[in-house]
Amino acid sequence: MRFLQRFNDNQQSQGNGDGDQGSDGMLLQLRSEGDSLLAAGDEAIRRALAGSNSEAFLRTSRQQGGE
Amino acid sequence: MNRHSTTNAAFELLPRLCGADIELGNFIVGDERAGGTGYEASRALLAEIDGLPLRQAGYVNNCWTAPSPAPRAAYSLPSGSGATASACIYNPQNVSRRFLLRNGGCAYIDLDHVELCLPEVIDAFDHVAAWHGMLRMMKTALDSANHKRPPNRKIQVLVNNSDGQGNSYGSHLNFMISRRAFDNIFWRKAHYLQFLASFQISSILLTGQGKVGAENGRPATPYQISQRADFFETLQGPQTTFNRPIVNARDESLCGRSNMNDPSAPARLHVIFFDSALADGSALFRVGPMQLILTLLERGLVNSRLILDDPLAALYNYSHDPALQASAELINGEQLTLVELQSAYLEEAKRYAAQGVFTDVVPHYEQILALWEDAINTFAKQDFMAAARRGIDWVLKLMAIERSMDQHAGLDWISPEIKVIDHLYSSLDNDGLYWAYESAGFTEPLVTPQRIAYFAANPPQDTRAWTRAMLLRRAAPDSVFSVDWDTITFKLRGKYNWPSYRVFDMTSPLGYTQAEVQHIFESTDDFAELLDALESDSTERTLTADALAAV
Repeated sequence: MRFLQRFNDNQQSQGNGDGDQGSDGMLLQLRSEGDSLLAAGDEAIRRALAGSNSEAFLRTSRQQGGE
Repeated sequence: MNRHSTTNAAFELLPRLCGADIELGNFIVGDERAGGTGYEASRALLAEIDGLPLRQAGYVNNCWTAPSPAPRAAYSLPSGSGATASACIYNPQNVSRRFLLRNGGCAYIDLDHVELCLPEVIDAFDHVAAWHGMLRMMKTALDSANHKRPPNRKIQVLVNNSDGQGNSYGSHLNFMISRRAFDNIFWRKAHYLQFLASFQISSILLTGQGKVGAENGRPATPYQISQRADFFETLQGPQTTFNRPIVNARDESLCGRSNMNDPSAPARLHVIFFDSALADGSALFRVGPMQLILTLLERGLVNSRLILDDPLAALYNYSHDPALQASAELINGEQLTLVELQSAYLEEAKRYAAQGVFTDVVPHYEQILALWEDAINTFAKQDFMAAARRGIDWVLKLMAIERSMDQHAGLDWISPEIKVIDHLYSSLDNDGLYWAYESAGFTEPLVTPQRIAYFAANPPQDTRAWTRAMLLRRAAPDSVFSVDWDTITFKLRGKYNWPSYRVFDMTSPLGYTQAEVQHIFESTDDFAELLDALESDSTERTLTADALAAV
């Protein structure tokens, strides 16, 4: 299940109607720019997935409850 | 005087002063010892943070709290501030607290978590800058601690609120409100409490950090909006470590030893509800809208339509539905989605803003309202990309996780790798996902790097934090006997060199600002003379209704 895909689908169906063309254009630009900027995290994610044993990491991340 | 008959209208004009006490996740990567590694990690980290009072070498390894001059109120739970002058008590919730010369905040260990306390600020944007300033300081401490450790025993610090294994730790805010408002919320007007609780619940839309999975016995879910939602089990109460309340009733004024019994003195609202924020948007929306809503509560402008019928059920349902389709019932039978409920509070605030209710009370309220509306609109338009770029943490984390699942075949919501990414979003170290996005310019900054750098090294200029930091800088380090938010006790040399203990009182959080007292600091190099001059200064700093009314 992808939550964001569901939103994008909803948004596209909304955008096919009476939207302001200038505003829609800005949103498209924002989204396009955002997609490329999201790639900034790809290397960090790749390192996270490649660098360690995830199950072991999660076991050691156990915390005491606080506050 | 009957505290409940007090009409101290001047308090309605009090700025909604804000502080914060925020715990971090800390552990040693690769060490699977029974009982966890928080004890060792937190102490290694705190040892890298300078502050006062000084302790003997090795103090960080024991758990004795500093003595505090007087008992607090009966309704407060045990804490360091509950100690007495004549006794040191073991208190695992306040280990080795040291106040920071740099900005007037403090750091200590709470149940094996490093806890950062921000200096008191008035402006919500200053809160954002001060928070990031403290994180910058903590990153330096982390680098320094890890530099001394072997490669296979590195410390990891997570700016989050849950370990995914049923343990939660807090990211608390503290707001100064009138005693009358405090009493109305907890003792006199149930709809005030419900209004506040319902608002806080709706705020997860903008303040949630997001997390993979459910905890504390809640139904399984792939991803949810709030890290903390699963852990709340009751509507209100003074406790924080068990049966957690949505609205916390802990009553510690931190502005005067006897204020709990003084109806004209302000109170502290201890807010334990929110997640820790990384992005500026979520950080701002933890504080700014709260300042506005608390102002409405001060003024009695409580719209009893905006009350959830079952706040706890609504919280779970809203948080477990990042698709934002879930609705919850108000007491009048209306069904509202999370976006609709948060929008309704915004509309209330806008309506009263037009009447001048926030003028001179909430700094930059127009900007807060504009940003609040803009952020809600991104959700109303179902534009997740825009929401993420506005700095809404749970959306950005969700994007990162879904992108990683798209790029790495075989990963799904239950994959341990996905939970690792969830954690590393908030890592303070170089592997932190959030910092990668911030550095790339993905999230829109709400404060400048210069302002963050300022608060990493300097106190707020418009609260007592300024004088706290300056006194700690000026004093001989070994003369600082104890420090609390409203007092500093100095151990000076008295007659015949006998030690003389001198308590400097800073009851008013809004007093002793830079503008008020900088000239006094510049007038003498002698420390005792400085204290004399500060104490004899005629500036009115006692927060009484009469004093405020005279302004």
